[in-house]
Amino acid sequence: MGTTGTPGTLHVTFRVGSADYAIPAALVLHLESFEVATHVPGAPVYVAGLVQVRGRVVPVVDLRKRFGLPEVPHALDHRVIVVQIGTRVAGLLVDSAREVVSLDKATFEKPPELIEAQASGFVTAVARGPKRLLLIVDVATVIGEELAHGK
Amino acid sequence: MSDRVDLQEFVGAFVAEADELVGSANSLLLEIETANAAGASRPRAVRDLFRALHTLKGLAGMIGVEPIVEIAHVLESLVRTADRAGGSLRRAAVDVCLQGVAAIGERVRAVAEHRGPAAVPPALLEAIAAALAGDERGPSPPAPIVAAWDAKLGAGERQQLGAALQDGGHAWTVTFAPGEELAARGITIATVRAALGALGDILKVLPRATPGPPAGLAFDILLVSDAAAAVIADAAATSLERVVELRLPGVVAGPAPAAASAEPLLADIPELEDDAPVTLGRSLVRVELARLDDLQEQLSLLIVSRFRLDRELAAHAAAGHDVRKLREIAALQGRQLRDLRRAILRARMVRVAEVLEPLPLLVRSLARAAQKEVRLELDARDAELDKAVADRLLPALVHLVRNAVDHAIELPEERVARGKSRTGTVRVRCAALGGTHVELAVEDDGRGIDRAAIARRAGHAIGDDRDLLAALVQPGFSTRDIATRTSGRGLGMDIVKRIATEILGGELALVTAPGVGTVFTLRVPLTISVIEVFAFECGAQAFVVPVAAVDEIIELPADLATEPPRRRGERVPVRMLDCRGHAVPLLSLGTVLAIDPGDGARKAIVTRRAGEPVAFAVDRMLGRHEVVVRPIDDPLVRVPGISGATDLGTGRPTLVLDLGALDLSGRERPN
Repeated sequence: MGTTGTPGTLHVTFRVGSADYAIPAALVLHLESFEVATHVPGAPVYVAGLVQVRGRVVPVVDLRKRFGLPEVPHALDHRVIVVQIGTRVAGLLVDSAREVVSLDKATFEKPPELIEAQASGFVTAVARGPKRLLLIVDVATVIGEELAHGK
Repeated sequence: MSDRVDLQEFVGAFVAEADELVGSANSLLLEIETANAAGASRPRAVRDLFRALHTLKGLAGMIGVEPIVEIAHVLESLVRTADRAGGSLRRAAVDVCLQGVAAIGERVRAVAEHRGPAAVPPALLEAIAAALAGDERGPSPPAPIVAAWDAKLGAGERQQLGAALQDGGHAWTVTFAPGEELAARGITIATVRAALGALGDILKVLPRATPGPPAGLAFDILLVSDAAAAVIADAAATSLERVVELRLPGVVAGPAPAAASAEPLLADIPELEDDAPVTLGRSLVRVELARLDDLQEQLSLLIVSRFRLDRELAAHAAAGHDVRKLREIAALQGRQLRDLRRAILRARMVRVAEVLEPLPLLVRSLARAAQKEVRLELDARDAELDKAVADRLLPALVHLVRNAVDHAIELPEERVARGKSRTGTVRVRCAALGGTHVELAVEDDGRGIDRAAIARRAGHAIGDDRDLLAALVQPGFSTRDIATRTSGRGLGMDIVKRIATEILGGELALVTAPGVGTVFTLRVPLTISVIEVFAFECGAQAFVVPVAAVDEIIELPADLATEPPRRRGERVPVRMLDCRGHAVPLLSLGTVLAIDPGDGARKAIVTRRAGEPVAFAVDRMLGRHEVVVRPIDDPLVRVPGISGATDLGTGRPTLVLDLGALDLSGRERPN
């Protein structure tokens, strides 16, 4: 499964646009291929819609839109990463999901200020992956935890 | 003719009660049979069986279904003989009893369908008589016409009674006859027990049938109390002549209480333990599922109007009014609504153990037909399910169990040759999963599913069990030819899959090992709400609306709607529809939802907003369906007017709209 031997926390890596990202594997329920989501009129623009995953109806956040990237045509590589935070289950639509890696949290670094400011809380740290730098994504912010608490 | 109506209502109650008794008689017989096979006996089950038959006889007698009375009567004699002989019912007798109970079941169905129940086939009566003759060990003692308490009391109770009387206490036989009138006043055997318990000590409660007309049920209560007869009569909601004092000497073997002799016992009714449930006394009400559905429907209307209240409150607050008090009440009401919803859900729950009741009989007959030896183990513990889920789930379970017996479990010789026990085991387990789902597993120790055979059939390689399941549930994946010999699975797995996922919104999983067995696991939600909807298309997207929310659906000729003047441009344009001379506002749903300009609209759905008719133009109607609605409550997709999602069989969610709650302001939602 592409895990390294070093002690650390398992992360799922994925790509959106030109960057590689990672989220803790503990939050990930499963990966699904993506064809089409049911549009929900009135939902935030970054919500791709609803998909049915193993009998469950799950809202999907389009990370391209969430991260302010231009839309791309649908591709076979597109994946929905189904995550669970507390009782909420949501999908993250990504360009491709790559692998599971073990990351040593001690190597995490705070992102440079300019990057952090641009990423508006979506990125919490930068980690050294097996090949390239990985941006650690704050899943709760991406799926709009503030929506859950605000009205 | 009110008599007739009453009788009809009573027939429904009879059928429900009788069905249950037939079911429990079957379960008991199977339990006895299993014990017989192991060389054990089940006196307790024999006693319970006797009670079930006796109650059946009494019920059938009350509404005059003679064939049932007749069969139940002879079966009862057979079982009573077994009970007296130490509580063992031989194999031949069990077979005859199963036939007899099946015959009763058929006649109960006949009553349910308002057909005349068929007369009893003499062959059945002869078979029962033959079994009776075979079982009879010496002539049974004549049933005492008059029962004295003596015969009914255990040693401890007898001693207690004797001691109480010796100390100068008074003992009474109090007769209480429950009835609808009393029940309407809240008086049941339970309340009478409580009232009498406050006056003294209840030593024994014996139910007995009372002969008609009208036939009924009465309880003889043995009470030790120093209260006056009138006080006791009052507490028991009975007349004074039904409170009879017992006197020393000879009380213990003395004459029967007058009340009891005035209404002779039909036979010696088996005693009930003090804590055993009494059929008419327990506080159970049978309710048609439709009535509970209605209750739930009313609740959702309440929730909708409550949303409106919230909106009004917010508007008032925005206008600078003091709404703190109102907010407090609204918050309280919100909590109460949630509690009410939970209470209604609880009322819809049935025990999974009850749902599984038909399975033992099914397995028995399948195993016999296939000449296999199969033991069925049921383990449902205290798990409960919404009745609507249970009703939809049972066919899937029956299918899986049938496949397991027919195809997975090997013939006894084959099993022995493979070093297995002769008897195969099919186990149905049920466990609650975290308060929202239950998991049901159908497990067998049969031959396992042959991957290679399925791969050949499917025309592609089969990897793990997930692949295997995906191949099995392909619609039309006919494995008939290989199913019976090699694959171990029969037809119709697509139906099981459909029930688990599309209908119930759950999951189906499979684990199989060659030669060891197979486990199918269904994970389904505890509750679903099923509603009738109209499906329609608007733009390129399909939606549904609850039928209950639709006043009418009308054709939309191009020139029917006129456009009234608009002074403010930011709202969704409203046109005016001439609806049989009434002006009804017409909005394009595509425009309201900002998904379509609405040029293709050919139909209008007329609904009500705040009591006023409003029409929404849509492209075309797709039909009427009964669907399972899943709430969508994630904040990402919480939008006024979108109340849930359903699956119209496309495998992707279709939105359920609440047209009354849609935001008509035409503003984009801020992100």
